[in-house]
Amino acid sequence: MRSVWVLAIVFLLLAGLGPVLAPYDPTAINIPKRLSPPNSEFLLGTDAMGRDILSRLLHGARWSLGLAFLISVISLVIGTTIGLVAALGGKRADWMVMRTTDTFLAFPELVAAIVIAGLMGAGTWSLIFALSVTGWMRYARVARGIGLSVQSRGYVVQARLAALPAWSLARWHYLPFLIPSLTVVWTGMFARAILGISALGFLGFGVQPPNPEWGSMLLDARVHLRSTPLQMLWPGLAVVLCVLAINLTGDALRDALAERDHPK
Amino acid sequence: MLTVSNLRVKRGARVTLHDISLSLPAGKTLAVVGESGAGKSTLIAAILGLLKPSGGQIAWNGAPTRMVRPALVMQEPRAAFNPVLSLRQSIMEPVVAQNIKLTQERLQRLCAGLELPLDILDRRPGQVSIGQAQRVGILRALIASPPLILFDEPLSALDAVAQKHTARLISDLQGEEGFAALIVTHDLGYAVAHADQIAVLKAGRIEEIADSETFALNPRSEYCRTLRDAAIALGALEAVA
Amino acid sequence: MIKAVCGLLLRAFVVLSGATILTFALLWNAPGDPAQAIAMARFDALLTDEVVDQVRQEVGLDRSFWQAFWAWLGPLLTLDLGFSAVTGRPVWPDLAAAISYTFPLAFSSLAVGLAVSVPLALLATKRPGGWMDRLAVAAASLGNAIPAYWLGLILILLFSVKLAWLPALGASTPAHAILPALTLGLGVAASLTRIIRSGILEARGQPFLPAFRRRGIVEKSIGRDHVAPHAAIPVVTVLGLELAFLLEGLVLVEVIFGRPGLGTFLVQAILARDFAHVQAVVVLTALVFVAVNLAIDLTYRIVDPRIGESDA
Repeated sequence: MRSVWVLAIVFLLLAGLGPVLAPYDPTAINIPKRLSPPNSEFLLGTDAMGRDILSRLLHGARWSLGLAFLISVISLVIGTTIGLVAALGGKRADWMVMRTTDTFLAFPELVAAIVIAGLMGAGTWSLIFALSVTGWMRYARVARGIGLSVQSRGYVVQARLAALPAWSLARWHYLPFLIPSLTVVWTGMFARAILGISALGFLGFGVQPPNPEWGSMLLDARVHLRSTPLQMLWPGLAVVLCVLAINLTGDALRDALAERDHPK
Repeated sequence: MLTVSNLRVKRGARVTLHDISLSLPAGKTLAVVGESGAGKSTLIAAILGLLKPSGGQIAWNGAPTRMVRPALVMQEPRAAFNPVLSLRQSIMEPVVAQNIKLTQERLQRLCAGLELPLDILDRRPGQVSIGQAQRVGILRALIASPPLILFDEPLSALDAVAQKHTARLISDLQGEEGFAALIVTHDLGYAVAHADQIAVLKAGRIEEIADSETFALNPRSEYCRTLRDAAIALGALEAVA
Repeated sequence: MIKAVCGLLLRAFVVLSGATILTFALLWNAPGDPAQAIAMARFDALLTDEVVDQVRQEVGLDRSFWQAFWAWLGPLLTLDLGFSAVTGRPVWPDLAAAISYTFPLAFSSLAVGLAVSVPLALLATKRPGGWMDRLAVAAASLGNAIPAYWLGLILILLFSVKLAWLPALGASTPAHAILPALTLGLGVAASLTRIIRSGILEARGQPFLPAFRRRGIVEKSIGRDHVAPHAAIPVVTVLGLELAFLLEGLVLVEVIFGRPGLGTFLVQAILARDFAHVQAVVVLTALVFVAVNLAIDLTYRIVDPRIGESDA
């Protein structure tokens, strides 16, 4: 399982160092060299505007992974807060909060994100908003479920008797016990966010050109499927490897937690 | 003074407490005795305000008990502490939340009274013995100087030596601090030795309330007589008569 | 039991009402003038400022969100989806045409998904931890990571461009549905394989199975009568999630393959700012989604009355 961690760390490093490693400016247009196949000058070839695909891929890691990180953390914070309000707020608050969550779950997440991002107008901010507002529900359900199971523990009863304010109660007596499960959910949502960002980019609703984002690179490449089929391979491969590494990390984390909670 | 009058608690369709009335003067001790399922824990939860009674009143000097923030000592000492916090963080919760002035001197005096070394407070609940954890639990109950402390089977998780020791410490501290104690226990010997009054709970009703001496000498009801004789036979209670 | 069913129905009603409100709120807050959008959705005509102002008053847009919402909800309840301002036609026939392309694709994808995942899961669980099992798990992990739009492009490249076996774009013949169904179906298969596999493994761990074996009941009939039903439970649980996955995939796959289904309909409506069409698809999706989840919950409660008793 160590190899999985190594892979995940390599990707994070790539996202961090990508711009440093990139041989060219990812937005530099070079029409004479357009659509060149992989060669010694351009290791992965160039796109329809003669931009270096390797450089765009490396810069794109920052867009794709960075935005996915941002989005998954925003929805983590929203979802956890909402779940804790449900768990701590009593029966009536619980019912209302959970029905609200169900309402948001009444739309397939990505379809809702496409509609929201599309109606708000394409761009990075509407992308972040659309994917965050459709991505918090799982965290809320998990946070609420664990929150309800923590509620009857001795120290929570003691804290309530001590009249501890709800904020401290959540911070000290609920949150520490939510973190392991939420981390597992978070890895899954991080991977989903990468897929969501590139899906929106592919539909033209996400990060706008000339910024290099993997999904929009695929959209560019699609037109030249016949002439330079390799061009469409790279961004897709980048998405697949990132998602795979994150998912496998999440699986390893989940197994480790299960092992800790129920040792064999 | 704690007064419970005509308390009725329903859980779902089942009535778990019928028409309970009792009183506990400040500084005194009342032991509530009964078998499992008699409603002892429900009574504690109702007095603490953790569940809503469906009838009757609970008051401390005429005001809701919530106002004086009664404290609770739990049966399972370790489960009463958050495993990720130090014991000091846990016992300071009532102090911080209720904005109480706690002098270092008082903390030292309480620790000394409970025979706890001060540095034990910097450990986690998993790093102390069960007996120590229970004494820290009593420390937490005392720290905000509430006039009423409820003890839910405070000794049953401890071994025999720790039981005797802890029981004595509770009595001594009560003398110093002057809190009223409501002790739920199934140990009649402990109840008779340390309580001023004993209430016997059976199937959600009070079977008998009496001074502990009267109770040990001559219980009125048949059920209490059986209880007393069983305790004598087990050696938990010395035959007085 | 009756109380539980009523509870579920109430929940579905609340959720659906909430979903309608959310949809309207989205329209209300979208950039542009909602009065104009509604007016365009209502009338099949060029709009003057007067008409828009008239609609604004009529619908109550000049007053409050809620009054405007009720005015919008009225026709919706009678299934009147209005007119599209862009195409100038009523919404229903166009929507129905789109659905007629989407339904067969959804079902054939599901069929592909089941046809791949069930045998794969059965092979994998023959010897848990064996090479077949590990291969199946690895394939499923990989499949979960591959985005539908990329897989679609690769399949087009392979079968249409290089081999020229299958048509890629459009929907004129049944052959046009093969690549899209394969794209979506493989994605469905990836997630189903995992779930069926763990379902079978869990069902095998049932405490009463060794007793059956000792009594000499044939392995095959144990599998059919006891393992299969238990393995089906987790699959039913995630049907809702699978449906979401299917709908999300449909949008992308239809766009890639140029199929005029619901997904293309939605994306084009968004690009053209055709609010009537967007609303129609969103409300319809929510309706299907809530209905399917309600059906799953109800089936559950009938099959196994223990489930969900504590869950409010």
